Amino acid sequence: MEKEELLRQIADAVVEMEEDTVEELAQQSLTAGIDAYETIDLGLAKGMERAGQLFDEEEYFVPELLMCSDAMNVGIDVLKPHLKSENVSKKGKVVIGVVEGDTHDIGKNLVRLMMETGGFEVLDLGRDIPPAEFVSKAEEYGADIIGIATLMTTTMPGMKEVVDILANKGIRDKYKVIVGGGPISPAFAKKIGADGYARNAADAVKVAEKLLGNTDLALGA
Amino acid sequence: MTEWKDEMTAIERMTAYAKGEDIDRLPCVPIVGNTAARVIGVKVSDFRGNGELIAKAHIAAYKLFHYDNIRVFTDLYTQAEAMGSEVIYPEDETAYLGQPVIKLDPRLSNLDEIDKLRPADPYKDGNLPEHLKAMRIVVDAVGEEVPVGGAVTGPFTNSSFLVGAENLVRLTLKNPEAVHKLCQVSLESNLRYVDAVIDAGVTPSLTDAMSSSTVISPRLFRKFSLPYLKKLIDHIHDKGKKVTLHICGKTDGIWEDMVKAGADCLSIDNDADILKAKELVGDRVMLMGNVRPSETMLEGTVEDVRKATVEVVRKVYDSPKGFIVASGCSLPTETPFENIHEMLNTVRRIGNPFAIKDATSIVA
Ligand code: B12
Repeated sequence: MEKEELLRQIADAVVEMEEDTVEELAQQSLTAGIDAYETIDLGLAKGMERAGQLFDEEEYFVPELLMCSDAMNVGIDVLKPHLKSENVSKKGKVVIGVVEGDTHDIGKNLVRLMMETGGFEVLDLGRDIPPAEFVSKAEEYGADIIGIATLMTTTMPGMKEVVDILANKGIRDKYKVIVGGGPISPAFAKKIGADGYARNAADAVKVAEKLLGNTDLALGA
Repeated sequence: MTEWKDEMTAIERMTAYAKGEDIDRLPCVPIVGNTAARVIGVKVSDFRGNGELIAKAHIAAYKLFHYDNIRVFTDLYTQAEAMGSEVIYPEDETAYLGQPVIKLDPRLSNLDEIDKLRPADPYKDGNLPEHLKAMRIVVDAVGEEVPVGGAVTGPFTNSSFLVGAENLVRLTLKNPEAVHKLCQVSLESNLRYVDAVIDAGVTPSLTDAMSSSTVISPRLFRKFSLPYLKKLIDHIHDKGKKVTLHICGKTDGIWEDMVKAGADCLSIDNDADILKAKELVGDRVMLMGNVRPSETMLEGTVEDVRKATVEVVRKVYDSPKGFIVASGCSLPTETPFENIHEMLNTVRRIGNPFAIKDATSIVA
């Protein structure tokens, strides 16, 4: 099988949530001598990106997206040992969590997933996280990006607090802050002084990439 | 501020409305949950294990606002807690789920744990006995004038609290049988609980957030949630009670199914188009909703509340099976009292829905 064809089939199998097929094809890609990184990037991650689009179009829902990600992870497990070390360097480090008072975490988990797929190293803080903890954990972890989620309007002020704490400590410029979740708008993101906003998990990756590429504000997406 | 007075009790109003007789105003239910704690000046966590206090708060809140349904509710997790899940009680905020009772490993290889689950005993387990006590006290105090409801979390959502939301959602595609087991044992808990709720003299009121099309597709809803909801609703009907069903978020793709499940009243979230609901299912079920709980009720001005209330009444005052002016979901705890008053006062100013000529004539 040709390389392009194989990668396309891998992407399709991720979209179709077929773990076994993904595993088999990932093995095949190794036998065919295809670079493991390329298979991840142009096969598995491509498939996951498409799954993200389908989710956005309401063709897929949360269960489907999680299954796609499981299928992708099966492939990654096969390929990981074959990654050359130069490939392992990641795009950047992200800490992500849901603000204090909010325990909705389905959306945040999808964002984490897509970020990981997109090549970021992610530390998931979980849910119900006090603003100060976002900052202390980002410092500890050496993060480039702080991702903050909330689905409730009542807990939105917690996002601003994170930004304020960063400013007060004089470390605001060390981090790019991106926010998201149901009630969050680009205008709100701007108002609290965040660097980026994304309305869904697929866009979150693009915004993060843009921000680390130092394109100024990424509030548009 | 003018003192607005009702001419009918909630029960008189609902009864007359159902018969198509003139009423003083549309029924109105700003869905008060833990805001009741603010009415009597206690902390939300004081409600834990204290049925008397829950009752006191809900009676006081009703007497303050005079809405048309009291819903005894503190959080969604009472039944899951009674089945062994951990619930975390912040000092003064709504409780949330800690560790679910079934701790599945990431590979989902210990699914047999699910077989160990047993339905909760409403008279013994967790905080259920206290909730039942609260319901009895409320009914004794004001049950003659206002309908009293007891919150029941639907089988699919309760299942998510037994294994964790993400695991449940995964299992819908990975291991349907496990989901059916979870929903079945949740249903059994539900059935026992609604029997107890009805024995307490109260009407069960169903809420099922995870069934939302914001989370699962209509197809999966029909497969995993609908059959159990239907059994639950049939059972409640057998006991002579009507059922209100609330599902959060997007639901337009499942309204038909919610009707099929047997619901008598659909509570429509602000994420859904209630005008469309009127057109599609308003001829078969009563509707309630869908003023924004947070953006309007919590954060809006009194003026915002009035506008939003007028807007929703314009859309659905003539829904064939009736309409209850309500918030799209439970109100956040800190919702200002004046906004709750304003929702009711606006409805009072609008008056008898049968006297409304057309939507544009509605002002308040
Ligand atoms: C499922 C659900 C629940 C589940 C949550 C399970 C879980 N583990 O997460 C349960 C049943 C537990 C629940 C509980 C409650 N809920 Co709820 N819930 C929902 C519901 C129906 C769907 C949310 C969801 O999962 N969506 C699917 C995901 C994939 O979408 P998403 O989260 O928006 O994420 C996407 C984007 O926003 C973005 N994104 C998300 N995070 C981030 C982060 C970053 C950095 C970026 C860039 C992007 C990004 O990408 C994601 C993927 O594309 C919504 C309805 C709605 N309209 O959203 C209500 C809703 C969020 N809940 C609400 C409420 C009020 C509650 C409760 C308080 C109810 C109660 N009275 O007990 C409790 C909360 C307790 C607490 N303190 O947290 C309200 C919030 C109202 C408000 N505006 O404040 C909503 C909007 C319902 C409503 N209309 O009133 N809920």
